[in-house]
Amino acid sequence: MNPVTPENIKIKVSNLNFFYRRQLILSNISAEFEEKSITAIVGPSGIGKSTFLMTLNRLWEDLPEARMRGTVEIKLGGRFQNIYAPSFSLPRLRRAVGMVFQTPNPLPMSIFRNVAFPLKLAGCRDKKMIEEKVEAALQKTCLWNEVKDRLKEKAFSLSGGQQQRLCLARALISEPEVLLLDEPASSLDAKTAAVIEELLLSLKQHCTVILVSHYMDQIRKIADQIVRITEPDKNGEQKYELNQTG
Amino acid sequence: MNRFGEILVKGLSWGMGILFLTGISCIMVYLFSKGLGAVNLRMIFGNTPPLDAVFHGKAVFGGLFPAIAGTCLLVVFSVSLAIPLGISTGIWLAEYAGKRMKSLFSLLFDILAGIPSIVIGLFGFSLAIFLHRHFSQRIYPCLLISACSLAFLVIPYIIRTTETALEQIPHSIRITAPAMGATKLQNIFYVLVPHSLTGILSGIILAIGRCAEDTAVIMLTGVVATAGIPKSLLSNYEALPFYIYYISSQYADQQELLNGYGASVILILLCTGLFFMAYIIQKGLAYQALYRA
Repeated sequence: MNPVTPENIKIKVSNLNFFYRRQLILSNISAEFEEKSITAIVGPSGIGKSTFLMTLNRLWEDLPEARMRGTVEIKLGGRFQNIYAPSFSLPRLRRAVGMVFQTPNPLPMSIFRNVAFPLKLAGCRDKKMIEEKVEAALQKTCLWNEVKDRLKEKAFSLSGGQQQRLCLARALISEPEVLLLDEPASSLDAKTAAVIEELLLSLKQHCTVILVSHYMDQIRKIADQIVRITEPDKNGEQKYELNQTG
Repeated sequence: MNRFGEILVKGLSWGMGILFLTGISCIMVYLFSKGLGAVNLRMIFGNTPPLDAVFHGKAVFGGLFPAIAGTCLLVVFSVSLAIPLGISTGIWLAEYAGKRMKSLFSLLFDILAGIPSIVIGLFGFSLAIFLHRHFSQRIYPCLLISACSLAFLVIPYIIRTTETALEQIPHSIRITAPAMGATKLQNIFYVLVPHSLTGILSGIILAIGRCAEDTAVIMLTGVVATAGIPKSLLSNYEALPFYIYYISSQYADQQELLNGYGASVILILLCTGLFFMAYIIQKGLAYQALYRA
């Protein structure tokens, strides 16, 4: 494991505070995430792990009554950019920072359209290229053989594990530089979870993975570093410990 | 709640459901038994050959064809005015309007929905008079004015159902597309609206039914007892509900009364046909938007 040096940092979070209604959810987080590594975020439930993920792609902004202070910088296209700068394009951020949620959330459309959807959003019209990319993404998540004959069927007709791999394929099709995963394996059986773990390890080649998880043995297997968010102490201070594994 | 209460509520709900269905079936059976016998080609087309009437615009005397055509045109024009306005206002209310604007406009649309149709008819009539005096002598109560007034009458239904359908979409689906880089507009058109088509359809069906049956509005805005098939948007027209109203209030003999029943049967069948058309269009749209590879 390489030490975290300024050259290989991908994401810099400084003095991040997050409020929902009047409640302080995250207080004063500063953390750095290394490029092409897997970071696991752990901590008791309800502590704000998922919220933290959403500050990295600005998805919390759709919640009414939520507020944030602090800065998040991500190295995109070779230089650090403040993703909260007013001039920063939100669709571009969301294409570069993909996300997979805890419960699979396929859209109510066909399997093919679900996976191709991010390309459609990006304005891609080349049918042949779309087909190739859809196949490649489904191959990566080991779903292609299971669905290649039923691409026009509803995505809801798939099992839970298949749906989650579909969502992962959908997140991968826009070739994100950062991938946020919110307990992606919690609805999967052990065998499928292992497939996903393998996949995450291979993704590390060109992608920065940040993962919220409860399964310590899964984390030990794949994570390069662990960020532990603790309960606030008497003074309301939360602690963030960074542990290197492996 | 205790056991007795549960049984009571269950019994009441069943009872009310059955009462409602019985009522509807009684009306239907009565109408069809009286009216179905009167429905025949002669009643619809009079002495004119049907093909000539439909395709060559040959005038029909003593038949219901002009009234059927008038009602169809009226429904099509008013619903096609109301749908784009209603759906876009619904989208605005659900997705863009701020809290205050939303409550203000919701109140206004509720009031609009509560306006008696005769008042809207009066509004249409005054509009026609106003346009006649200040704009063009050619404008008087006509198909166009009726269609506009009816659209006005049904827009609140479409707004309300569109808004509700959009607001009921769960948060997890709402954030799915933005998480992949969708702009707000893309999210609305690719995900949220296709997802609420079924809900929007119920509003459109309500609107179609209302446009087809309303008599008060059209009575004041251009319907007449005999006009033939309307030649333009600016001419008078006939309509089935007005015919039914007219016959039932001043029928001369038993045969005319039977014609009234026949017209009611035709109106019901026409509405059913229009509902099915709306349903098929919705299914087709949903397929185009979501499943075509």
